[in-house]
Amino acid sequence: MRSVISGLTGVARGALWIALALAAFFAADSLIFRAGWYNAYLEPESSAGALEAQLYWLKNSTTPRVPEVLVIGDSRIAEGFSSRTADSATDRRLHFWNFGLGGTTPRVWYYTLRAADPTRRRFGVIAIGLDNYSDEDWFAQFEDRATDQNYLAMRLGPGDCVDFAMSMQSMSTRQHALFGCLFRGMVLRDDFQTFLAHPETRITHAGDWLKNGLGYTSGYGGLAENLGGLTVDWSKRTIRFPDGLNEATRANVMKFVLREPVPHTGELARYRKRWLGRILDLYRDSPTRLIFFQVPRGPLVDPVARTPREGRFVDAAGLAPRVDVLPSDTFTDLERPEMFADGLHLNRDGRPVFSTRLAEQIAAVLAGGSH
Amino acid sequence: MLFTTLNFCIFLAVVLALFYALPQPVRKYLLLAASLFFYMAWIPRYVVILLLLITIDYLAALWIESREGPRRHAALIVSLCANLGLLGWFKYANFARDTWFALLHPGTHVEPLAIILPLGISFHTFQSMSYVIDVYRKKQPAIRSYVDYALFVSFFPQLVAGPIVRAEEFFADYFHWKSPTAEEWQRGCAMILTGYIKKLVCADQFSLVADRYFADPAALPGLFPAWTGTLAFGLQIFFDFSGYTDIAIGVALLFGFHFPENFRRPYLSASVTEFWRRWHMTLSSWLRDYVYISLGGNRKGAWRTRLNLILTMLLGGLWHGASWTFVIWGAYHGILLSIERLVWGRQERTGISRIPLAAITFLLVTIGWVFFRAKTLAAAVFTIGQMFTGPAAGPSLLSAWQWYLAILTLAVALAEEYWQWLTRLAQSSIWVRTAAAVVALLVIELFTATDLSIPFVYFQF
Repeated sequence: MRSVISGLTGVARGALWIALALAAFFAADSLIFRAGWYNAYLEPESSAGALEAQLYWLKNSTTPRVPEVLVIGDSRIAEGFSSRTADSATDRRLHFWNFGLGGTTPRVWYYTLRAADPTRRRFGVIAIGLDNYSDEDWFAQFEDRATDQNYLAMRLGPGDCVDFAMSMQSMSTRQHALFGCLFRGMVLRDDFQTFLAHPETRITHAGDWLKNGLGYTSGYGGLAENLGGLTVDWSKRTIRFPDGLNEATRANVMKFVLREPVPHTGELARYRKRWLGRILDLYRDSPTRLIFFQVPRGPLVDPVARTPREGRFVDAAGLAPRVDVLPSDTFTDLERPEMFADGLHLNRDGRPVFSTRLAEQIAAVLAGGSH
Repeated sequence: MLFTTLNFCIFLAVVLALFYALPQPVRKYLLLAASLFFYMAWIPRYVVILLLLITIDYLAALWIESREGPRRHAALIVSLCANLGLLGWFKYANFARDTWFALLHPGTHVEPLAIILPLGISFHTFQSMSYVIDVYRKKQPAIRSYVDYALFVSFFPQLVAGPIVRAEEFFADYFHWKSPTAEEWQRGCAMILTGYIKKLVCADQFSLVADRYFADPAALPGLFPAWTGTLAFGLQIFFDFSGYTDIAIGVALLFGFHFPENFRRPYLSASVTEFWRRWHMTLSSWLRDYVYISLGGNRKGAWRTRLNLILTMLLGGLWHGASWTFVIWGAYHGILLSIERLVWGRQERTGISRIPLAAITFLLVTIGWVFFRAKTLAAAVFTIGQMFTGPAAGPSLLSAWQWYLAILTLAVALAEEYWQWLTRLAQSSIWVRTAAAVVALLVIELFTATDLSIPFVYFQF
């Protein structure tokens, strides 16, 4: 080997050394962030920390010997669904997990489910909450969301990197996604720096969260704010707020309730087909049922539908075996201001009603009843 | 295309791979094409200005070499007028116009002309001018090939912010090119990594403080904010600019070019004279060779020497930016140099006396940075006022971590200055060097100050 190396030109030896140094760097980065020990010290309130805590509880909690139901979604599920209430609503014949996480989208859900259920046999039901059955484009870009990587920092293996990066849209996001996937420290830099700044505080906080956080979240009652009295004149597109509403909530309601339509490009439809489609593929040969449902969309919903109802993702998904799609009007009666805390999230009055109803619907599906 | 972006890393990897894959005669075309592409990644049309200056200076040098008497003088004038004319228009037109109106029509509001400064014009014009002047002085033969000359001016590692490479240095490597050895590759990579650490970990960290303070000094009154804000800028500009040149030198080395050193731990200098021998060394030597000596240097008596020093530094200040604050900054350094010359002559300071003198020099240089960084003369005067007569109040803007970083970098500089710590590391076994590279990569990965891409300070010059 030594003679082979000494026979190379200076440039080839230099390039070889760079390759060696990069490989050693990858190994050092992996030792810190892939060996598993750092998961226990992630900031619980960070994107990666929140996701890793959910996976930790799932793996390490003792659960009753009843079918488990994992409810996955974004912050609307995190705020609007109570697993404790759902357990009670089914007389504990089912055990619910709330895997709602603010800011997550189907791409994150796919990788989360892959990690949460490696055998694809753990859950009786995976319930997936969609903000809207319509594939109407949203003002936010889903395909190019670089922040998805923040949640998945500890879940993407080297084999995922090219696929994950290529699923982004712009060249710069792809580059960042690729390098961030290969070298996890690039994504976890802020977390690592704040850990080093106050290690004792972090160790205590993270330890407490992993030990007791499931209890804290299960006992969470929901948001206290109430939009009762909110009215919208859809013809004039004007809004009347109840008294005492703070500026941040008003801005939130304006943003989401009186949402300006964006040109329909089919981006969301493609995105859902790709990532929700992957979730369907993941469970294709599994006994687990997949149930899609439309969450209560908002305190008041624009009566004018802007996109055609044909060709929606859920319509095609519902044809697959062991896949159910709850009717779109299942929860529309909850789309009232007094059930909401802001433009997106159910409040503490809406949360138990929605949780109970969802649990009952899922139980009915499992029992073979109609929905 | 900033050196600190992934785009640049990919660009560099591709150009390097092609460079060594192609036969040697073709490589210069590749480097020229890559350099022009690199330049055009900013504002493509400005490549015309670059090529225009290259063409004028290329032809002027050939003309100068082939003739004797006044006609070679005329060619020099044409070249200097072209370089200084374009530099003057793009960099100083608004400054001259503002000054004109302020003097003759005070109180008149003047809309600035919409002029965007071409990237790196201050550097490549100086590099070109030094070549033409050297040909005129018969110290450098004119370059026959347009491509060779164009590559000298536009070679991408040094195109935007130096170091200012002399033709003699560049063509010594170019015409006797040798493939870099494995050790040179490792040294080049080490320089690049050092540059990234200086820029991303140190400079950007201190820029957060300096930008906060100098955005509005009046909003942070008091002695402590003024001193810590200014100190932060002093650290930022050193790490920023020396980081850039480290990367430039390292990248050039990977292609087999040996660029001159540009910074040698300037904040350890025991006098302002020594500071300028260690800070932006290629500009200092340029100003010495083409301005100070042209003005007469030290050949015309003591007072004229001092005047020449002040004039040279004044021009150096103006080179950095078109504003009275830069003129004052240059004059301030010129006066300090003259005073030192008057008090100490050319005596070098050694031994233990260097410690207090280095502290005083650092203090003087730091005070000067106020004029360099402040947006307006009024802001600079306010900051200086706060530093010396302001109330002993206000917060220290530097966090504990930033103080640790400042002390750590001082320790590294001292270790290199007196024990050649980094030099010895570079000469150690391959395993130690590899381990050092891994540590450097981890430092860059984990301690980069911000996700924001903060441009290099010297890009604005």
